[in-house]
Amino acid sequence: MTGDPTAYVAGRYERGSSVAALVIAACWHVGYDLTATVTNWSVYRWPAAVAGAWLAYVVIGVAGAHALLRTRRTVTAVWGFAGAALGIDVIVLAACPPGEMLGPGDWPWGSIGWLGVILFWWRRGPHELIVFLALNGVVMLAGTALNGVLDRISLARFLMVLVGSVTLQLGYSVATHALTSAARRAAQLSAARAEAAAARQVAEQVHADRLSRYAQVRKAAAELLTALADGADPADPVLRRDCATGAAWLRRLIAETDDVPDPLVHALRACAYDAERRGVVVSLLPRGTVPELPLDTRRALTEAPLEALSRARSEARVTVFAGAGEVVVSVVADADDFPIRRIEGVRITKYREGEVLWVESRWPDR
Amino acid sequence: MGREPLAGPVTLAVVDDHPIAIDGIRTWLSRDPLGRVELVASGATIESVLRGPGATADVLLLDLELHGVMVIDRIAELCAEGRRVVVYSGHEDAETILAVLDAGASTFIAKSENEQYCVDTIVAAATDRPSVPPVMAGAYLSDTRPQRPRLSDREREALLLWFQSMSKESVARRMGISEATVRQYIDRVRVKYAKMGRPAPTKTALLARAIEDGLIQAHEIREYRSFASDPEAGP
Repeated sequence: MTGDPTAYVAGRYERGSSVAALVIAACWHVGYDLTATVTNWSVYRWPAAVAGAWLAYVVIGVAGAHALLRTRRTVTAVWGFAGAALGIDVIVLAACPPGEMLGPGDWPWGSIGWLGVILFWWRRGPHELIVFLALNGVVMLAGTALNGVLDRISLARFLMVLVGSVTLQLGYSVATHALTSAARRAAQLSAARAEAAAARQVAEQVHADRLSRYAQVRKAAAELLTALADGADPADPVLRRDCATGAAWLRRLIAETDDVPDPLVHALRACAYDAERRGVVVSLLPRGTVPELPLDTRRALTEAPLEALSRARSEARVTVFAGAGEVVVSVVADADDFPIRRIEGVRITKYREGEVLWVESRWPDR
Repeated sequence: MGREPLAGPVTLAVVDDHPIAIDGIRTWLSRDPLGRVELVASGATIESVLRGPGATADVLLLDLELHGVMVIDRIAELCAEGRRVVVYSGHEDAETILAVLDAGASTFIAKSENEQYCVDTIVAAATDRPSVPPVMAGAYLSDTRPQRPRLSDREREALLLWFQSMSKESVARRMGISEATVRQYIDRVRVKYAKMGRPAPTKTALLARAIEDGLIQAHEIREYRSFASDPEAGP
């Protein structure tokens, strides 16, 4: 997803460090391995086999690079490639006379670790890379031991090269992956902070709107209560009507618990508010979470219900139900009839029963 | 579950911290032409109501918010004592309603709709029969918990139209079925919910009554499957 800054930032770090791993492996292979092969050409028992091993390294490296940069997934049958890389170990080891083992001519055993870094790049955790590096060490140690040259000096040299190369390769892999996840986390946090700031602003706005409506309801309620205290007749139908409207209004404000209303509910609420000011008793019942809808769909969904609500004479019940992949908006009100405009994608149904008009719109239309 | 009701009028105890609300309920009861419900006790706290004649009332009508405190956590204990609790509240969000019903309340009446359904609901609760006012139907519809029961498409449609507050008669006309079938769909949803969650005497009584009334068969209680046990079925 290109729009996600988290993925974008982490992706840049990931790409940068994987390219760096490839460059290191390529430089090492051309600069050190090739030089070692050429200078020890006459020392090897089968120089052609060593040249083949050098080329095999290139082939595995290219396959790994392709997976790393193009498909961004671990190469298929990764342990097959890893096995082939260990095979390079064995071939060059066999081609070396006993004295050259662990010497400069025996180049793979310090450098195929970089193939491991490339091949196991997309794996979760460094476990497989560690196994691969350990196998590399075992192959070398076994080869040396089989040729009977495992004395104190070669063992010391073995440990030195092992520690040197493993530290570099494993350290590089772990550190770059840690860097990438740190970058991802930083991007996530900054995105979350921006989102929270936006939500807070909206919530503050909603709160301010609500306070102003409370103030209006308070004023209306105070007027009614004063009138009652001054001896107005509770049997007076006009007074009762006003009381009922005020009560419904208060009840609806109390039921408004969402800090950031969904735009669809928001539109209905605004219209409900207008109706209440005309003296209509409105109950608004949103249920479920409305998914993000395109503006056109939202308008299509609310058009007919809003019309019915605006025509309500004394009572209206507005319901929104969102769930199971559908959104259903309905208004039941004592309203005049009106023509329904057909809108693509939304099913609108109208039904009249005596004084009561019922209008429902459903998305999607199926 | 107290005595067998309907020998006389249903006896009702009301807990509400607003005396004017209790007066309002008394007025609604008196408007019922059949005089089916008699208010025998009322007060501002659960304790004060249960101390007197309210202790043996058929139904306890409970305001969910008393002196600013929500009393949802008291419902389970009241139901475990074998009381039929009908909750009414201005807190009409699905979460609250589902919690109240899970705790064993017989039914939930929203304050915005109570006059219309009050007497019928209390009588239904007293006889352990299902009663689903529209706002409660809305809560069932928007239940997304994994343990929710599986509802059929027809049951969901009946709930939705009922939630939109058409009469059951017009729900029936729209769905092209009889009003009795609409009732059956909605009541069956109530029964499905009585089968889930922590058992309560009220839930057991409702299920027993549903079997006696032929709403469900005895074996259907065991055959109940929740949505969670069959993820293939869409919500």
